[in-house]
Amino acid sequence: MAKELNEIRDAVHVFVEADPDELAVVNSRPFQRLRHIHQLALTYLIYPGGTHRRFEHSLGVMQVAGRIYDIVMRDENLSDVVREVVPGSRRKREYWRSVLRMAALCHDTGHLPFSHAAEKELLPDGVGHEQITRALIESELMKPVWDGMRPQPEPEDVVKLALGPKEARDLTFNTWEAILAEMIVGDVFGADRIDYLLRDSLHTGVAYGRFDHSRLIQTMRILPPAPDLAGGEEAPTGEEAERSTLGVVRGGLESAEGLLIARYFMFSQVYFHSTRLIYDTHLKEFLQAWLPGGQFPTDPEEHLQITDAEMMAAIRAAAANSADAAHEPAWRIVNREHFRVFYERAPEDVALYPEAATAVFAAAQEEFGAASVRYADSRKAAGTADFPVRDRDGKSVSSLALSQALQQLPEPRNEYVYVVRERREDARKWVRDNRRAVIEAAAQAEKEEDE
Amino acid sequence: MKRLQRAALLTELVEQMRAHESWCGETHLQKATFFLQELLGVELEYDFVLYKHGPFSFDLRDELGDLVSDKLIRYQPQVPPYGPRIAVTEEGEAVQEIYPTTLARHADRITFVADKLDARGVIDLERLATALYVTLDAPQTSAAERANLLRQLKPHIPEPAALRAVRELDEIRAEAEAIAA
Repeated sequence: MAKELNEIRDAVHVFVEADPDELAVVNSRPFQRLRHIHQLALTYLIYPGGTHRRFEHSLGVMQVAGRIYDIVMRDENLSDVVREVVPGSRRKREYWRSVLRMAALCHDTGHLPFSHAAEKELLPDGVGHEQITRALIESELMKPVWDGMRPQPEPEDVVKLALGPKEARDLTFNTWEAILAEMIVGDVFGADRIDYLLRDSLHTGVAYGRFDHSRLIQTMRILPPAPDLAGGEEAPTGEEAERSTLGVVRGGLESAEGLLIARYFMFSQVYFHSTRLIYDTHLKEFLQAWLPGGQFPTDPEEHLQITDAEMMAAIRAAAANSADAAHEPAWRIVNREHFRVFYERAPEDVALYPEAATAVFAAAQEEFGAASVRYADSRKAAGTADFPVRDRDGKSVSSLALSQALQQLPEPRNEYVYVVRERREDARKWVRDNRRAVIEAAAQAEKEEDE
Repeated sequence: MKRLQRAALLTELVEQMRAHESWCGETHLQKATFFLQELLGVELEYDFVLYKHGPFSFDLRDELGDLVSDKLIRYQPQVPPYGPRIAVTEEGEAVQEIYPTTLARHADRITFVADKLDARGVIDLERLATALYVTLDAPQTSAAERANLLRQLKPHIPEPAALRAVRELDEIRAEAEAIAA
């Protein structure tokens, strides 16, 4: 018997449908905590509308992942080659659809307060929010939730799809599981990316993030990869199927271009905004001074007790108390006294030495004192925009071979060096006078060290 | 190893691969880097896992994205239907000039990998690299046993092809010992 569906109103998707098992996850403590985790950390200090939370984003990811699954698994959309890696039985297909949606719901439950900000420095080596997500999915807290479901999901299956092979390296993924994980966390068409671009765009008011996601999802397929050996071998069918991945039919290429262009704009305009990056730095400095041992707990129960609400109360208290060890960064956040940019990565400098910005940073620290200078880097590799496109003859073609837009798509990348507001003009003059000499000296020093 | 030092080695590997007629798409470079690190002992510090197309490093994929951002490499689109080839830019060649000693120290290893993998296609590379993956896990076992392990991981690879890949790998390993020593 079909499960009763509940409809949750949503600003992006109008409605998110959830069955009783999915509502049980929504009602769990790990998921409810996401109501208190800002999706974009302190970005609302620059874009005031950016106050949305991971709670509604995670619901949106479930909605999108479910739609992708339903489209790509339609009988008429499965080629003979791809059928070799797709479960044949209806029961198994229903199981994996359910696991996919559960994983989509849970994929962000391990996020620290204020989401991504400076996670690497605030957790023990080798631990990221994904490992906390995994611990929560496998926890005793979630066991009764999983046990009460029909079909009953294996927690390890939920972990695989929620984290993907990059973050669950100790688990072995077969091709089917890898494709399902791509539906959530994939670099090109993951539901996570589709939802966050649309949602962040809507809430920040940055219209560049919009794209035709309905058309995109409608044209998504599981496809064998495009060949990459000119005039070369034909892959045996089985091995071709093993390498299958998410792609689009030819008529969906423009909507895929739209997504990747939207991503470029959102990273340039929002995620890598210079003021947003320096607030992340001040927040990290506050947390390093405020947290016991300078790090967040990784124990699931302790993790569940800390949200943005507790953080913001602590920031306001520390800002008001000059004796507090975390006073200065807290004061900067509360009073908008963030450091100011005086140097920005420039192509002509990178041509001299790719580490030009860190060379300027190191020299500026000597000039103005380490306490007065900060560096922030937008590094987040997007990977290539290469994915298979099913051409009109049914064969897979590389997207980069077909799309001039994707061939020209720039990679968002920025680095900034900041100084305290009072020294900004001094720093600007100093960098004007010394930039080239500093960068060339750093390149030369590196060369001499190698010799 | 520093990030730029690794970049110098990777760009040199790309150039050597292309000089040895490799198509040099991402899959080709992934497998060549796996051989360079795991068989020849060059400490690039990438974590490889067994993925749907054999040994694969997500760290390396991220690093390639960084190298594109820094304009040290670029993906060259090809005529349909083929996937892109990786090429080193002028800026990438300039980075090599910063690390002459590092490059000289590893030159013979890079050339060895490029020569042994030459113009192989992705199917061949996946079999060979997966053969190395199982051999690293079970170095003392016979070729037949390792071929069996390979087929447990990749059931679609035919038995004769698995055995052929393991035997070919053993020949490459024997030659590599002299260079890696």
